[in-house]
Amino acid sequence: MEFSNYLSITDILVTNERIPCKFLHDLPKMGFLDPSAADDDLKAGTNAEIPIWLAESLYTRRPPLVNVELPKTYKDSYREILNADACTVDLHKLGQHFYELGCYVAKHDIKGEVGSTLINTLRQRFRMLLSASVATDSISAMQPLSASERLQAAAAARTERNLASWLQRGDCPLTTANMVANHRKRKRAEMEMF
Amino acid sequence: MFAEKVIELLKETERNPETIDQFNDEKIRQILEEMQLLFKMNMNDANATMDNKALWTTVQVRHSALERNKRCLLAYLYNRMNKIKTLRWEFGSVLPLDVRELLADEEYDWFTKYSSNLATYMRSLGQDTGYNGIDLTENLKPPKSLYIEVLCVLDYGKLELEDGDVIMLKKNSRHFLPTTECQTLIRQGILKQIT
Repeated sequence: MEFSNYLSITDILVTNERIPCKFLHDLPKMGFLDPSAADDDLKAGTNAEIPIWLAESLYTRRPPLVNVELPKTYKDSYREILNADACTVDLHKLGQHFYELGCYVAKHDIKGEVGSTLINTLRQRFRMLLSASVATDSISAMQPLSASERLQAAAAARTERNLASWLQRGDCPLTTANMVANHRKRKRAEMEMF
Repeated sequence: MFAEKVIELLKETERNPETIDQFNDEKIRQILEEMQLLFKMNMNDANATMDNKALWTTVQVRHSALERNKRCLLAYLYNRMNKIKTLRWEFGSVLPLDVRELLADEEYDWFTKYSSNLATYMRSLGQDTGYNGIDLTENLKPPKSLYIEVLCVLDYGKLELEDGDVIMLKKNSRHFLPTTECQTLIRQGILKQIT
């Protein structure tokens, strides 16, 4: 799991999110990890929010240096909302990488409820995802979706469009390559700025 | 906090997933400096752990930060490499000057090598059956007709066709050309197919 996405930028951005941790050992000179601490040294028992990548790697040391706790959005109160009706939640605001972050958090949840919440959430929101991908007013339909859901919806919409145009005309005109076109567009935008 | 510069770098890349950015050597230099510093601090503290066992934990934290920085830099280079690969397929083996400027020297070397490797491979295709190679960058979509009507988008200059005719590609001129002759130009955004 840890190195499966070693080169993925998305995974790197996900692991940059902060989660609350409790330090189990003294850390000399690491006081800056806890913004409220005045000392240079970080004492055992301090609670601080640190990025997941740091938490993960400190947790896997022998002996573990930190104890990972659940972030607010994966705790009971939010889980109840998600289990009741996941479609009402704006995942873009709650956490852009809700599912990906959840995968990291889930293994630190002793009761194992985070995992089932994630599956449940996706199951409930799937219809929403489907309707977002065929919606004509796509901006407002896309708004409450998380980052990965947006990618899925956009891919679905693209496939839908391609299928429709293929069914209608059966031919595919030659087009400019993607990167060439985008490079042009950007250059034009830069030219207009000056 | 550790590894923040490198995140800025990756966010920049993430913002433009479809185009390639200027190689950011200034930021990479800063990141490498941060890593050097972390490494030096770790060396000092690792030597001092003989007297003070508690320092060991600090060394581990910094070591994680070093690994993180390394991972992010590798990811940055890897993602650019994939884009450069796409450049070869979409712009062709000769890059326009303004694209060429976006690559670092090492990246351009890599591009040249990739390009010649690809060319060697394409030449070798079908040799056993008597053909001398297939250009894989052609006919990415199934060709529908032998001739197509195209509109010229840019002032390109002269183009010599296979039968020896020379035509002038001027902006907004229309031509009726063999598909095989103009599909590369269409992909490069010089011509546009009129349907």
